[in-house]
Formats: sequence, C-alpha cells, structure tokens
Amino acid sequence: MISISNLTKTVRSGTEDLTILSDVSLEIPDGQFVALTGASGSGKSTLLGLLAGLDSPSSGSITIDGDEITTMSEDGLATLRSSKIGFIFQSFHLIPSLTAYENVLIPMEIAGARDAHERAKELLDEVGLANRGHHYPTELSGGEQQRVAIARAFANRPKILLADEPTGNLDSKNGRHIFELMTALHQGNNVTLVLVTHDQELAAKAERQIILKDGKVIADNSGQ
Amino acid sequence: MNFILNLTAREIRSSWRRLVFFFLCIALGVGSVVALRSLIQNLTAAVGTDARALLTADLEIGSNSDFSPTDLQKIQAAVDASGIADGRNEAITTSSMARPTDPANERVRLVELKGVEPPFPLVGEFILDDGKPFDHRLLENNGALVARILLEELGVKVGDKLKIAEGEFEIRGSFDNEPGGSSGFRLGARVFVQKSAFDDAGITRNSSRVRRRILYRTTDNPTELVRRLREELRGSTITVQSYRETQERLGEQFTRTENYLALAGLLILVLGGVGVWNVSRAFVEQKRKTVAVLKCLGASGGRILSVYVLQILTLGLIGSLFGILLAQLGMFGVRSGFSEQLPENMSYAVTLSTGFQGAVLGVLVSLLFSGLPLMQIRNIKPRLLLRDENNVSIRRLDLKKWLIGALILASLLGLAVWQAGSLLVGAFFLGGLAVTSLVLYLAAVVLTKLVRALRPSRSFSLRQAINSLHRPGNQTRIILLAVGLGAFVVFTVQSLQSNLIREFDFSRNQRLPTLFFIDVQKSQIDGLVDTIKARTGEEPETTPTVRARIAYVNGKPIDYSQTETRQMQGQIGREFAVTYRPGLDINEKVVAGEWWRPEAADVPEVSIQDRMANTLKVVPGDSMTFDISGRLVTVRVANIRQIDLRNTRTAFVFVFKPGVLEDAPQSYAATILSRIGATDRQRLQSDVVTAYPNVQVFDVADIVATVTELVENFVLAITFVGGFVILSGILILIGSVALTKSHRIYENAVLKTLGAERHSLGAILMLEYGLLGLLAGVIGSVFAVALSFAVSYFLLDIEWEFDAVRTLAGIGITTLIVMLVGTAASFDVIFKKPLSILRSQ
Repeated sequence: MISISNLTKTVRSGTEDLTILSDVSLEIPDGQFVALTGASGSGKSTLLGLLAGLDSPSSGSITIDGDEITTMSEDGLATLRSSKIGFIFQSFHLIPSLTAYENVLIPMEIAGARDAHERAKELLDEVGLANRGHHYPTELSGGEQQRVAIARAFANRPKILLADEPTGNLDSKNGRHIFELMTALHQGNNVTLVLVTHDQELAAKAERQIILKDGKVIADNSGQ
Repeated sequence: MNFILNLTAREIRSSWRRLVFFFLCIALGVGSVVALRSLIQNLTAAVGTDARALLTADLEIGSNSDFSPTDLQKIQAAVDASGIADGRNEAITTSSMARPTDPANERVRLVELKGVEPPFPLVGEFILDDGKPFDHRLLENNGALVARILLEELGVKVGDKLKIAEGEFEIRGSFDNEPGGSSGFRLGARVFVQKSAFDDAGITRNSSRVRRRILYRTTDNPTELVRRLREELRGSTITVQSYRETQERLGEQFTRTENYLALAGLLILVLGGVGVWNVSRAFVEQKRKTVAVLKCLGASGGRILSVYVLQILTLGLIGSLFGILLAQLGMFGVRSGFSEQLPENMSYAVTLSTGFQGAVLGVLVSLLFSGLPLMQIRNIKPRLLLRDENNVSIRRLDLKKWLIGALILASLLGLAVWQAGSLLVGAFFLGGLAVTSLVLYLAAVVLTKLVRALRPSRSFSLRQAINSLHRPGNQTRIILLAVGLGAFVVFTVQSLQSNLIREFDFSRNQRLPTLFFIDVQKSQIDGLVDTIKARTGEEPETTPTVRARIAYVNGKPIDYSQTETRQMQGQIGREFAVTYRPGLDINEKVVAGEWWRPEAADVPEVSIQDRMANTLKVVPGDSMTFDISGRLVTVRVANIRQIDLRNTRTAFVFVFKPGVLEDAPQSYAATILSRIGATDRQRLQSDVVTAYPNVQVFDVADIVATVTELVENFVLAITFVGGFVILSGILILIGSVALTKSHRIYENAVLKTLGAERHSLGAILMLEYGLLGLLAGVIGSVFAVALSFAVSYFLLDIEWEFDAVRTLAGIGITTLIVMLVGTAASFDVIFKKPLSILRSQ
C-alpha cells in the first residue's frame, strides 16, 4: 500500500519559488494499475519521482508498506528502490557503457542476487530480446531500448512499478507493444503499476485514473 | 563486492580509450622518477661508496708540503698509542709532462703522476689490463704503469719508454680502473711510478702542485685516532680523514643527488597528476547520468564511489607499470648514447626498489589528483533523471570536500618530502610549484581577458576562435597552465644554458692564453722566452710567482680545529702562488682601499682578491702574515681587488707590492696568446719540455674543451628532463581537446546549419589553438626570462643576456606545436554531418 499525505513540492526557479505539487493526498492499494494524467507541468512526473524516493518533498509524507520514505537517508532510499521499486523512464536511461544483458543484470548485482545471470536471460527472453543481449544501447532501436529498460525494472521482482511516459519517445506501434508488455508483466506478477502518460487511450485502460492540474489532484475515479 | 568488481571491469572496458591519456600522464611521470633514480643508484653502485676502497686506506694524513720531522713524530706517537694500525704506506702525487723517448714522436701530455711504495694498495685491489694483479716489482728500476687512455694519447704501447721530468720510465703495463677510482676532475691521465723515483727524476724538485699522503690500514674504528691526530696537528695545514667520514659524505652526496633528480621526476608526475585531475573532472561530468541511474537502481553512493576509485587505482597501476617499462627503455637509450662517459661496469636495469617506489607513487598520485573530482559523485542525485539540473547546485560549505582537499594537500607534501628526503626541500618544492602554478594561472586569466579585446576583429574566424576560448566548460586555463609550465621549464633551462655556455666561451676572452707554462726557473726564463719567440713570433708575458701560505690574519693563526674553518682548509690552508707588480692588470679594479703609489711605504703591502677577502674577513688596514719558504713576512692589506675572470690572462689572489718578494725563491709563469694550431702547440710543448723537463705546460684549449663538454652534457641532461615536462603539457593538451570535443562537434553542427563552410571551421580551429599556443608561449617565456635572470644574477653570479631571437623562436615553436596538435586532434569534427548530431542533443 502506498500512502501519500499532504504532499507538497516547491522548487526555486530563477528568483521565484515554483509550487509543483500542492497538498496531494492519495492511497494506492497493492496491485492496482493507476494512470496519472494531466497537462505538461501539472506535476505528474514529480509525483512519480517522489514515490520512488528520487526526490524529497518540501512537506508531507509518503509511506510504502508502513515505512515512511520521506525521512529515509539516501542510502536507505537506494535500498528501498533495489528491493521494492522498479522505475521506467521516458528516455530509457540505460547505462551506455553496458550491454543490454549487463543493464538487466545490474539491479540484481546491486542486490546481491544469486540467480542474477539466469534471471537476466529469462527477462530478456520475456521482452523478446534474447538474441540482442550483447548489443550496447546505441546499437538498439528506441523500442528495443525501452524493452531492456522494462526487463531491468522487473529484475528484482519489485512490488511497485513506476513508469514515466514509457511510450513518450516511441512511435505508436512500438508504444503499443511496450504498453502490452508492461501490463502483461504487471498482471503476471501482481505488481502495483503507476503509469504517467499523456496518452488518453492508454490511460483509459488503467483501473484508476488520477488527473493532476497545477500540482493538485482534480479528478480521481477510484471513488476516493 | 561482485557488483563493484564487475562494474569496475565493465567501466574500464568501455572507457579506456577516453582515459588513455590518464595513464599516459601517469606513465610519463612514473617513468621519469624511476629512470632518474635507477640511473643514480646504478651509477653509485658502479662508482662505489666503499670509502675504504676509494681512500685505499682506513686513514689518510695529507699535506701539500713535506712532513716536518716534528709532525712525523707526532703522527707516529699517536698511531702507536692507538694500537690499531696494521699497515702503512706513503704516496705522493703531482702533475708533470710526459713524452715518448722516441724523437720521432713529438707528442707531449700532462699526466697526473702518483708515486707509491709497498704495500700498495692497503685496501682494495688493483687489476691491470692483462688481468693480473698489481705487483710492485713492475715499478722497480724506473718502471711505470699508465692509464690505458695515455697509450692512445701519446701513441705508445707497453714496453715503450716515457720521459717524465728528468727521468726515463719504461711502460710495464696499463690499466683502466685504479685503486680509489678516478674521483675528481683530472687534467691528465694517471701514471704510477715508484715513490723513490720522484726524487731521482727531479719531479718534485721544482714542482708546485705536490700532495703527500701517509696511509694507514687499521684493525678497528679509527675515529678516536683521527680526533687525536687533529688535536696534535692543530695549527698546521695537515689534513686527517678516515674512511668513515668519507663514507658518510659520499653516501650523503649520492643520496642528495638522487633525491634532487627524483624531484625533477616528481614535477613531471605532478603535471601528470594535473592531467589526471582534468580527465577525472570531465569523466565524472560525463558519468553523471550513469551515476544517477545506478542510484535509481539501488546502489548506494559509497558503492558507486568504490567502483570509480577502483577504476582509478587500476588505471593508475597500469599506467605505473607502463611507466616502469618506459623507464627501462630510457635506460637502454642512455646506454646507447652515453655509455662511453659512464663507468664500464654500470648496470642499466631498473632497480627493484625504484620500480616498486614508482608504482606506489603512480597509484598515489592517481588517487590524490582524482580524489576531489570523484567526490562530486556524492552530489549527483537520482532526480537528475527527471529534470536536468546541469551544474546548478546550492553553494554551501562542503566540509567533507575541504577536509579531503586538506588531506590531499598534506599527502602531496608527504610525497614531496619522501622523494626529496628532506622536509625543508620537499616543502620548498611543493610551495615553489604551487606559487609558480598560481602565478602562471593568474597570468593565463589576465591574458585570456585581454585577448577578448580582439573580438571586434573583422575576421569571423578570429572572433569565433576567441569566443571558443571562453565557451562554458572550456579548458583554456588548464591548457595554458600545463603547456605554459612546460614551456616555462624548457625556456628557463635553455636561457640558462646559453648564458652558461657564453660564460664558458673562452674564445670571447681575447686575453685567455693558448698555452700556460709554470714552474719555469729563473735560470730558464730567458731561454724559454727565446724558444717561444722562435716558434710563434710572440714575446710571452712572464710573471714571477712565489709560493706562500697564510700563517696569521691580524696576528692570529687560523684555527683548523673549528669545523667551519676546517671545511675551508682547501681554500685558505693551501699554498698560494703569489706575485708582485707595481700596477693593476687591465682586468682588475680596486673595490676597497687604494692601490699603492710607486714610492715605498713603511710597511710592505698586499692586494687581496675580493672573494678571498670575504672568506678571511679582512679589510684594508688589516695585517696578514705569510710563510714564504719558512720565513714569515707580515704585510698590510692595502686594498681589495675585483678580477674580471672573463677577460684575464692570469688571476692572482694575492699581489704584493714590489720591494718585498724579489729575493724570495721564485719561479715564473709564462703565457702566450697566439692562436696556434694543435700540431704547432704539440711541437712547442715538446721543445719546451725536452729543454726544460721540470716545466709544466697547460694546453688551455684542451681544458676548455673538457669543461665545455661537461657543461654541455649537464645542460643536455636538464633540457632532456625539461622536454618531458613539455611532453606532459602536450598530453594534457590532447586530453583536454578530447574532453571538449563534444562541445565542438555540436557547435560546428550549428555553424554548418547556419552556413559556415569547412574552411572557416578549419580556420577557427587553427586560430583557437594558435592563440592558446601563443598565450602559453608568452607566459612561459616571460617567466623564464625572469627566472633565468634571477638565477644567473643572484645564484650563479654570471653575466645575463636577453636573447630576443631565442625567446621569439620559443614562443613561435610553442604556438606551432599547440596549433598542430590541437588541430590534428580535432580536425575530424569538421567532417561530421550536422543532422544526427543536432538530433542527439
């Protein structure tokens, strides 16, 4: 269960303070597929980043499975991400100096997993890149890179998958493939999936849609 | 741990091309330190610091005059009382002229003659060229053993006869290495004869440079005996030394030389460290996103830092090992280029200890100089992946960074002290380097600001080139500092070299003699003058010389028991050749007191050279007493003279007023100025020595050639080391070019899109690096001129001249090198297609 309580995020932009999120409160039960939508600058990506502990809020709290992550140290957050959270970025953010196989391997090596090599092969196979594992990211297409990123995100069997515009840099055909892959993995592993997207068609497929505007939740069809 | 090791290996695999300059910088520095240290250590081993063997005894008692019966009694009494002497012999050395007895062979050579008696040597061995050990019977009945080189110089062989002074000696053997080695500078090759032959051949009769030695072998530590002897012989000019003091002194000298040379290597390594710092800085910048991703995936800051520290350590070690290999290649180079000037038994292998030391140094420098850049990894936040913060960061006091910085500085000081072998020298080295770097850096800042004034130029390429020097993330100051420092070192050395060479360019001294004749007796001088006139047409200048020692200064004897005075014993306790004349020589001027008037004064007077006056601490009006052939003569110091040694025939430390020494035992020195050819000089020397065997002839051209060669070799060695400094600077330049390449590619893509043609882009490139080279050259030259002036004037006390041509050439060459290297390293960016580049941004 993810609990967000009175979350606010303010950043300094030049000489002014900019409020990106304003007093957001939410609860996301385990295994739910949530779409976060809203116009550019509405705070969706920031909210996602805060959920992953990639950033810290100006005020408010986030609790994941009873642990308040907003008071954790950087290393504590890193351990949390290693064990519980998978993240997929719009720009893939694969490590360019590692092959596809090594990119998938890395989270498991960080966690010290014993079956890292077998699992990396399995994951690449699941995303259809079993024979591309030895290629570097620059040698892969956008869609292939995102598939590697998905395999990487699932490497440590996370309970929560956060995806920030995963199809944003892809053509429609690739984008659909990626979405199907993610949702299949989500269902197969009973993972809580929080997806930030501009694409209304994709958002409609989620169990729950939360709309943000100017840093506030203006719609939430969960009934909450 | 797997994660750290695996990721380190993968990172090295992918980044090694970008980091190759990292380990080249380290390799160059380590190679320099290892090569220089190994060279000195091997030279030390070859020459030997076995002081007993060098002294050929445990204890040596020396004098420049005969030992008086009283002195001999005192010596014997002290030695007998100690009970530790178990071997004794005496030796006598002087220089003399040697020539073949074959009248068809007119060659003549000055030789360093040594008369020995059995048992010889007391310590060490003496093996001749035929492989047999020395046997004293070879010297009996006027036998001689000669240095191998003399056989070549005189065109003789074993079995031939030589005339030395009034004696004839048969060459019974030759040798390459003599007991005691060939320490010190010698004017002639060594010849061994029997000690008793010296008197028989009249060698010492009229010779002015004779040294007598009594040598002892002891069964125990002779330190106490040395102390007793010095006490007994206080007030005399007899020197006493033991092998232990010699050992300590030699050991200290070699260690000091090794450490000073190692500092030169450390300078190159520190420059390499600057390159490492530069590369690390940019590397961390390029790895920002990777680090953010790793943190996003769950890696802690500490583990990520471990990966990159391990990477640096690995590359540092590889670089160091490569540096050791370079050092070995360098040693082979020294062997092929200089083996003739170095001892035959010298090894050219890198020593194990220096190799290990080099590896440790290389790894430490890598770590120290990459430490601060790597610390930035802590500040990279994973939120970077969500929004690009570039380099904006909140400026707050980073205590850890300051602590690490202080630790790095302290470690660098530790390295410098370790290499220098002295806290003071190490601190001066680091301090000097820091000040020099700071000054050069500030000069770079000022100059780049001044260059901006050229921006309103009509030339688009020039305007862009100047802009490029100031683009965000530019490496301008680093390149200027690194290349400027290299240029500064090389130009300083070159400037000092030209001033030193000019100082020793005796051809500029029109009054420097071609030939110098000494020990000419009164009865011989007229005949000698006639002989010289007949051969050269020149009437030689003749100068009377009297042998004198300082007995008292202001009525007090010189106390050689004081350490400071004993250290100057060689300068003030020796026998001086003094002269007398009515007037000043044209190369002299009075700096204190007054020159004497022709009419006699109440008290005899003397004029003293300024340096000796400083050493003795005398001023005009003081009195000095001289021992002249056993008679004490007290004189008043009339004046102090300065001699221009660059324009002189003779230079006398003491010149007496006429009326004091005319009746004293004296000989004459004669000099000729005519520039005559080598063959004619040989013939003249042969004629003179045949007629007057006691006369010694110094061929000044030979001496000048030897000294000039020594100076040139010395300067060559320094320039060679300086060249490595420049090479380090060039490596940093290449590394910096590589680091800014992506900016340049992007800029060129935009310029091409806006219509710039390739030749314009090429011109911008060449102008940018040309400007950098010009600025670096100017910075290096200006400071080099200042430093070489300071060193020449204050330290070396030699004339300094500004060589405009050499300075401009230096600036030109630096400009050209930087322009060529920078352009060559960046030229390919002109040919890249713009679209793919713009889309990838």
